[in-house]
Amino acid sequence: MRLLAATVSIGAALLVMAAAPSYAAGGDAIFKKSCTGCHYTDGPAKEKTIADQLAKKGPELWYAGSKFQKPWLAAWLQNPKPIRPLKYNSITERNPLDHPKLSAGDAAAVTDFLMGLTSPEVKAGVLKPGESVQGKNIFAKKAPCGGCHEYPVKGELHGGKSGPSLVGASKRLNPDWVYAYLAKTKVFKPVRDMPDFGPVLPSRDLMSVAAYVASFE
Amino acid sequence: MSRFVITTTMVLGLALSAAGSAQAADPKQVYDFYCAQCHGPDGKGRGINVNKDFATDPRNLTDSTEMAKRSDDDLRGVIKDGGPSISKSALMPPWGSTLTTDEVEGLVKYIRKFCDCKGK
Repeated sequence: MRLLAATVSIGAALLVMAAAPSYAAGGDAIFKKSCTGCHYTDGPAKEKTIADQLAKKGPELWYAGSKFQKPWLAAWLQNPKPIRPLKYNSITERNPLDHPKLSAGDAAAVTDFLMGLTSPEVKAGVLKPGESVQGKNIFAKKAPCGGCHEYPVKGELHGGKSGPSLVGASKRLNPDWVYAYLAKTKVFKPVRDMPDFGPVLPSRDLMSVAAYVASFE
Repeated sequence: MSRFVITTTMVLGLALSAAGSAQAADPKQVYDFYCAQCHGPDGKGRGINVNKDFATDPRNLTDSTEMAKRSDDDLRGVIKDGGPSISKSALMPPWGSTLTTDEVEGLVKYIRKFCDCKGK
């Protein structure tokens, strides 16, 4: 009888483990406890009006696994550095640099959880980061991204302040996500202060500028 | 019975009207969200993004002499299709896929308040 009970218990435990999601146990619980005050992870996008967007304290993360590179995310959660020069949703206040730090263990667990949140709109493994004449031309002239985003030129900072910085994008962002974000803006962020270039520029232009952005050191 | 129908219709009409106004875009909110980072909250063309890399400064929307040279249709066009549509800088991006027709109309009226001028 005791043997039967033990066997059933082990079997049940194995069943639970097999049914568990791919991310590490605990990452979702840590996220729920510490992060949901500013971020949401249950997509699709919820914002319908400017007021909805302005009510958010931080970016939505329901497609974080498609957007970020895992090593960067794990390191950033332990030692957050400003990504936006300005406070989220503000064009007057500086970024207060007050993002909480996680321990190495918690950061690893939360990273595993977030990297499991992917969007089917992002086809992984298609684009490689790289500079091209076309990408550079679009970035600098055709649709000047530097109007709102900081970017590096030989170690110097250039560009505007209202958008997230593109410095270090080569380590932070997945080029396939950058392309998808440009091509299908409304899927990821239906209300945002960045123009929707999907209907304006051909896919090859968006791909080349996404690859260029994803090459920034 | 007819009084009941009239009252119900009026109540329904008021409710729909209230719902409609709640959905209507507030031009100041639209301007502050999409335009102020370059044109400035006060419209003077010195928003937070303006820096030494800008090939040209954003239009000072309070400049009544310059703004009077533009018709309302010009403003609608440049908001929707961006600066290059009127041979101006691509730093003014196309918002046509982002903004609704009502939001563009609201912006045109709001911008005219900055310059206190009419278009040509």
